Amino acid sequence: MEPTQDFTSFLIGRPVIVKLNSGVDYRGILACLDGYMNIALEQTEEYVNGQLKNKYGDTFIRGNNVLYISTAKGV
Amino acid sequence: MSAPNSSGSAAAPAVAASIHQLPLELIDSCIGSKIWVVMKSEKEFTGTLKYFDDYVNMVLEDVTEFENTPEGRKTTKLEQILLNGNNICMLIPGGDGPQ
Repeated sequence: MEPTQDFTSFLIGRPVIVKLNSGVDYRGILACLDGYMNIALEQTEEYVNGQLKNKYGDTFIRGNNVLYISTAKGV
Repeated sequence: MSAPNSSGSAAAPAVAASIHQLPLELIDSCIGSKIWVVMKSEKEFTGTLKYFDDYVNMVLEDVTEFENTPEGRKTTKLEQILLNGNNICMLIPGGDGPQ
């Protein structure tokens, strides 16, 4: 098991912040994640320039757009 | 991994042999200490390096994100991140980030 996967399995089911290269943030519950950093999020909130723009139930984010996945304290 | 760059000059293997360290071994020696990551775009990160993989995706702790914009520098504090290695340009061991 890759060590970075320890962190990813730790993140499953937790609130996370996903930042894309475009600067858009998605906050939600991490449903699953793969080696491409493709991501499925639940209860997703879309933030553009720090402003809440949209809410979605489930979302899929293609991994090539992902800058980072971060732990979030309160979402 | 013996010859990562076969198109390099004849001197390159001798240099690699003289310092006895591959680039990723330098990063490996940084695990547990502070590192400064400069991205291809106007973004930088500092934090404690926990893990990295062959793609130089990495897990950082106690992170500060620096975003250089025409309006000035924006900083964001993050607890723990998995940083995509795809857009990383440079790693500076022990770096405190931009002043």
